[in-house]
Amino acid sequence: MTELTVGDTPKEPKAEATASGGRTLRRLLKRRSFVVGAAGLVLIVMIAILAPVLAGHDPNEQDLFNSLVPPAWYANGVPEYLLGTDTLGRDVASRLMYGARNSLIIATCAVLLSAVLGTLAGLFAGFTGGWWDSVIMRLGDMQLAFPFILLAIIVLGVITDRTAVHLILVLGIPGWILYARVVRSRVLSERDKDYVRAAKALGASPLRQMRKYVLPSVWRVVLVIAMLDFGFVILVEATLSFLGFGLTPPTPSWGGMLADGRKNMIIAPWLSILPGLAIMVTVLAINLTADGAAEVLDPKLKKGMFRRLRRAAPPAAQTVAASASTPRVTPSANRDTTAQFLEVRDLQVEFPLEDRTVTAVRQVSFTLERGKTLGIVGESGSGKSVTASAIIQLIDPPGRVTRGSILLEGRDLASISNKEMAQLRGKTIGMIFQNPTSSLNPVISIGAQMVETIRQHHAVSAVEAKAMATRALMDVGIGDPQGVLTRYPFHLSGGMNQRVMIALAMIAQPDLLIADEPTTALDVTTQAQILEQLRDITQERQTALILITHDIALVREYADSVVVLYAGHVCESGPVADILYDPKHPYTQALIESVPRIDLEPGERLAAIPGELPSASDTLIGCPFAPRCRHAADVCVNIEPPLIAVGEARLAACHLNEPASGHPGALKEAVRRQDDPAAS
Amino acid sequence: MLVYLLKRSLQMAVVVFGVITLVFFILRIASGDPARLMNPPGQQEEIVQLTRERLGTDRPLLVQFGDYLLGLARLDLGTSFHGGQPVLDEILRTLPNTAMLAIVTIVFSSTIALILGIGAALQADKLFDRIVLVYVSLALATPSFWLAIVLVLYFSVQLRWLPAIDLVGPQSFVLPVVTLAVALTPVLIRTVRQSFLEALGDDHVRAARARGIPEHRVILIHALKVTSLPLITLIGLQLGLILAGSYVVEYIFNWPGIGKLTLDAVAGRNFPMIQGGVLVAALAFVFVNFLVDLAYAALDPRIRLSAR
Repeated sequence: MTELTVGDTPKEPKAEATASGGRTLRRLLKRRSFVVGAAGLVLIVMIAILAPVLAGHDPNEQDLFNSLVPPAWYANGVPEYLLGTDTLGRDVASRLMYGARNSLIIATCAVLLSAVLGTLAGLFAGFTGGWWDSVIMRLGDMQLAFPFILLAIIVLGVITDRTAVHLILVLGIPGWILYARVVRSRVLSERDKDYVRAAKALGASPLRQMRKYVLPSVWRVVLVIAMLDFGFVILVEATLSFLGFGLTPPTPSWGGMLADGRKNMIIAPWLSILPGLAIMVTVLAINLTADGAAEVLDPKLKKGMFRRLRRAAPPAAQTVAASASTPRVTPSANRDTTAQFLEVRDLQVEFPLEDRTVTAVRQVSFTLERGKTLGIVGESGSGKSVTASAIIQLIDPPGRVTRGSILLEGRDLASISNKEMAQLRGKTIGMIFQNPTSSLNPVISIGAQMVETIRQHHAVSAVEAKAMATRALMDVGIGDPQGVLTRYPFHLSGGMNQRVMIALAMIAQPDLLIADEPTTALDVTTQAQILEQLRDITQERQTALILITHDIALVREYADSVVVLYAGHVCESGPVADILYDPKHPYTQALIESVPRIDLEPGERLAAIPGELPSASDTLIGCPFAPRCRHAADVCVNIEPPLIAVGEARLAACHLNEPASGHPGALKEAVRRQDDPAAS
Repeated sequence: MLVYLLKRSLQMAVVVFGVITLVFFILRIASGDPARLMNPPGQQEEIVQLTRERLGTDRPLLVQFGDYLLGLARLDLGTSFHGGQPVLDEILRTLPNTAMLAIVTIVFSSTIALILGIGAALQADKLFDRIVLVYVSLALATPSFWLAIVLVLYFSVQLRWLPAIDLVGPQSFVLPVVTLAVALTPVLIRTVRQSFLEALGDDHVRAARARGIPEHRVILIHALKVTSLPLITLIGLQLGLILAGSYVVEYIFNWPGIGKLTLDAVAGRNFPMIQGGVLVAALAFVFVNFLVDLAYAALDPRIRLSAR
């Protein structure tokens, strides 16, 4: 409701289906595995096509005086038969080349057959829907419910005179369902898109719709499946030939050659090994090509395949080229902070990406006393969650703390070992998250998760742990703790799950609890209950609480002090009462004004903040808020304002607060302050 | 649950019936005449006709089919064309060998896939991950029958460590299982790696870490339990591959199983035996998928078995 609906969309180029052919090709050529695979495949295809020219012998020409000649690199090999000869004295190299021809032709035709059948069936099922659709899809389900290759073996096995056509039919027909499913789902999703509906409303015929809107998105996916299927079909064809169900001898095929070679595998191992290598290299080349093509042409299909992890940059954080980072003026008011419970000083968190480094949090400092509540406020992408993750040292990789310290009772969490940190988690620092339901393991019961956590932190038996879990659930206001313990997270409402999360986080009586947007995913009435619960339980146990929220109204209600973050920078920090009544930063002011008020005059408009958070690709010069600031002057665009003291325990980073900054408003502001001492 | 069982059984029955019907007619329409095959070439037509009458292949197709179905209802799968022994006996003799091979293969392959897949996920984009990726690519391109021959050449012929053929003891399992595992693991590893990576990024894994659950428990219990679901589904889906692979492997290693029985029957046009082999394969397939459903329901409380 009070969410600032700005600056939430990362600006990444969408992989649009309309990407030009040239660009697709360039992207493909950047992948080494694709280039290697495609080059190999082209080479193999060329060999197959040119077999009559390249082969030194007729593949069926027998030379019984030269049977079982080993390949040329053996001591008694001859250059005439480079890869040796078989029992009938036929040239292995020539037979391999002709075998490539047969394998590739059969596989290509079979894949084409599947693709055409499947695409037609998918288009038809998707467009007509209804009865036909369910009949076609049921048929596919039935077929998938049985290993079709077994039927293929039997059918081919009993046919007396097998020709290439038989093989193509048997290998090609079962594959249709692969294509039909994907094409059908694409048709259904395209059909529901607005522009297709609009075209239909305007009277475009189904055929025209298909050609214009559906086919362009379908051909890529069909091509990718066909490539992925191709290697498999070659393997199956070779297997069938090996079992003696392929092309009738003496037609050369890789599988058949292997079967022949097997009879003499001890005296002539090359006869078995070479055809297998040919199959393997071919399938490998096809698979490498297919993987590369799949990733570029249809990234959605690649789920489940190996791929490079692409880490999303945290949206809307500052990017700084490592060398160009402008040293900021150290806050002049780095106050005496001995004996603070938690002190975060000068924290910087960076996410090194492939080509640049994103700084999600810069020079963030704040302190928190035992038993108090600190609110951290900012929009999505302001760095507030990253700050919280940094405190509990669970920043998503590849992010890391690059500067500053996080002192918890004098111990720097940023520099202790992982092992030491692991011991603090749960015991000294607890955390609850934005999405309670997904923060609990979906397939482990609430009870088991609680008992596990309790026994991690207390030396108790399983029975005692269960009793403790029951009490812990009662403490967070759950009426039926026994029942909840046997449930799974999906049984419970978000509010209930968040109570469970609070109970879990409080089990070891941590000194610090971090609540990262604990109520954002909940409905409004539950929000208030959860926050009351959180306040009661932390006050009762003197737990320090960090409440992270985008909602400045919550901070007013529940926090003692507040830090306002914008694009990873602290705009302003200090006691809640002071900041909410006299903000010293235009961003804080704008946040306060954008909260809906009950005393809004009729016709008065709620203020919204124009513009959006700087995107991750913007480089940092000047004040990050300047582009959206109503007071922005030249100085704001050019020089980044330092964080300076603006009153008792208060810091703010705005040129308006520095009389010497050169901001035209600063002097006026200074005068205003002098006139009205209460304001500072 | 009862409704689920009923519907599921009905579905299974439909699939199995469809498959055996298809095979029955394909055999009799597409295949050459087994009676002629059983007689020497140039045999007098009267004698061939006598063979046909003995085999029962001279009767109208539908009569044969009706007979076959009536027999099935009495658990009579017919008798072999060659030798006349009951098909059921042959199947019961060979089935345990194939089942053992399949079970050992599945257990071995899943273990390997979990170890390599989780290892690769934990080391994503690092050296170990790359090595596993290379293995996956190579294994996907390797023809099983060729690998079996290469393994025999090396381990049986050259080193004389392992038996090349026949089931003579536990050591006989090594080469067939490795051959099948190389065919099966690439897909499993990919899935484990991918779903484990996703699981590691899940909110609940992070939350478990945040409340102090030690890393080995996070990986071995919290993430693994979520990962096991897609793995189980996949094993069910890959059963066809395992069955087909066991045909090849049994053929090469002369393994006394259903696969070899069926292939021999195909070569000899031994219709009742082929039908028996296909029936067993179809039953095994639907049964394992039923087990997968049950396992899924047991592991994932969100799934309640309902009639799909």
